[in-house]
Amino acid sequence: MPTGLQINNVTKYYAEGSNRISALERVSISVEFGEFVAVVGPSGSGKSTFLSIAGALLKASEGEVNLNGHLLSKLSDKELSNVRLKEIGFIMQSSNLVPYLNVFDQLLLVKKMSGKVRAEDKTFAVNLLEELGLGSKLKSFPEELSGGEKQRTAVARALINNPNVILADEPTASLDTKRAHEVVSMIAHEVKSRRKAAIMVTHDERMLEYCDRVYRMEDGRLSPAESTSLAAVCKL
Amino acid sequence: MFLALKELMHSKMKFLMIVIIFVLVAWLVFILSGLGNGLSTLAASAFQNMKADYVIFEQGSQSTMGKSLLSDQLVAEAEKLPNVTAASPMGSTMATAMKGNNTKNEDKVDIAVLGILPGSFLEPAVIEGEGLSSENPTGVIVNKTMKDDGFKLGDTFQLDGSTQALTIIGFVDNQTYNHLTAVFVPMSEWRKIAFAAPGSDKGIAGPVNAIMLQGRHIDPSVISSKLSNIDTVTRGAAIHGMPGYKEENGSIMMMLAFLLAISAFVLGVFFYVITMQKTNQFGIMKAIGARNGFLSKAIVSQVLVLSLTSIVAGVLLTYGTAAVMPKGMPFKLETNLVIEYSIILLVIAVLSSLVSVRKITKIDPLKALGRVE
Repeated sequence: MPTGLQINNVTKYYAEGSNRISALERVSISVEFGEFVAVVGPSGSGKSTFLSIAGALLKASEGEVNLNGHLLSKLSDKELSNVRLKEIGFIMQSSNLVPYLNVFDQLLLVKKMSGKVRAEDKTFAVNLLEELGLGSKLKSFPEELSGGEKQRTAVARALINNPNVILADEPTASLDTKRAHEVVSMIAHEVKSRRKAAIMVTHDERMLEYCDRVYRMEDGRLSPAESTSLAAVCKL
Repeated sequence: MFLALKELMHSKMKFLMIVIIFVLVAWLVFILSGLGNGLSTLAASAFQNMKADYVIFEQGSQSTMGKSLLSDQLVAEAEKLPNVTAASPMGSTMATAMKGNNTKNEDKVDIAVLGILPGSFLEPAVIEGEGLSSENPTGVIVNKTMKDDGFKLGDTFQLDGSTQALTIIGFVDNQTYNHLTAVFVPMSEWRKIAFAAPGSDKGIAGPVNAIMLQGRHIDPSVISSKLSNIDTVTRGAAIHGMPGYKEENGSIMMMLAFLLAISAFVLGVFFYVITMQKTNQFGIMKAIGARNGFLSKAIVSQVLVLSLTSIVAGVLLTYGTAAVMPKGMPFKLETNLVIEYSIILLVIAVLSSLVSVRKITKIDPLKALGRVE
């Protein structure tokens, strides 16, 4: 019984006129619980397509995604949104919080999507936010938060349903170095302590020190990053 | 409901503006319906309140009293027909009552003189004084609005252009005909007023305008086939046959229909624009796992909250308006009608929000992330 996230030979192509443009070509990766994997690569290399397929937002043309035992190609749209809700925590490029909800309600919203909110869910949400250093911001609206606080709220939102897989799409794109380190180290800490399988797509090489493994995406092909470049990164 | 209410609380100004528009629409709908109701009451309440089910008119009279002339001999024949429990003749004519010496403009009051048999089922119950009697043919019962014109119980008034004088012996409530005060007179007296000119009764013995029938299961075609040269219609059709009734009601109904159609579009567009603004948000919520049902419920419940608030405010404003309206205004609010139009408005609002719901279900969460390659 495989656990975590397995992506086997996934290919994704788009038809453009009579041509077939492939965005991903036979991509395979396996991430165990407690593992934090980074995918780097230039823009246009297929990183986002890769993350969308891993995140059950886009269907692969060929190959299979096994997300903690769910075979994504076999699921209906409704089941897919359920998988996104229960099994996946998304952290997006810009925090993408709902503007009219305060920090605490951002988390409750996710709970509401899956049904009733119980008292222990509220306690869990408060604890989570305190752990992420947002204890004093529970009632603040997104417009009153700094970039780092917004992104930390997004991290909390990704964790509230206790998902098995965390997917982060350029989580540091809009942050300065200090805040970027703060947020990524927080994600890494949560991944380790809560035993999640996590993938972060980034081209911010400063952040690779937090990751267990680094993959490079180029022209739709995924390969382990060469040790030389990794060593170079580690020296930084 | 969670999302709906949180958003309402957060952007009060935006939603307040929508509520104001909706309240104005609801207010206008209620006022128009009250006005329509008031006008049709004024036009035909004497008919509407009559305990008759069917009306026999002369053939070719277009169900209009003024175009129909029958002999009262038909009453006895009609009574014997199947399912007819009672039949009674009726006549109507327009006249002008003159008060006292008739020196001022206010002294002349237009009235509708309705001839009926004293004691028949057509005679309305008096709220003051006593009912009609055959022994006193010039004693009449009149609608209480004549009090406002200065008439009292026991007053005698002359009819303009006639030698007849009538004495008020009783007052009745809610009896108007053709927008005029109804004056019920005994049949014999009505004939003297209506057929004062020789030959105007076309030589018919015992002329009347129509014969009213009671009986729930009457088949009009049976009546029409058994008696010659007559048309049998329902009381409702007779009301529609009153001169000007259809036209007056029709124009009010047309205004109401247009108003409702316009409000459907205005509200629909508003909800749609608001939803479009939030496409991105909804996409993100879908990406993190919100189902279409969850988001649709949020939209519809928000529309429900807005509509209910606006409709309640509209109803309150309408009753407030009704309270300060001048007494003579033909305005009549009925709880039934208010409830009916409230439901119609609510349904329209919810239906118009379905366009937005449809839009939501089509949002691609991937696009909302803005990272499609």
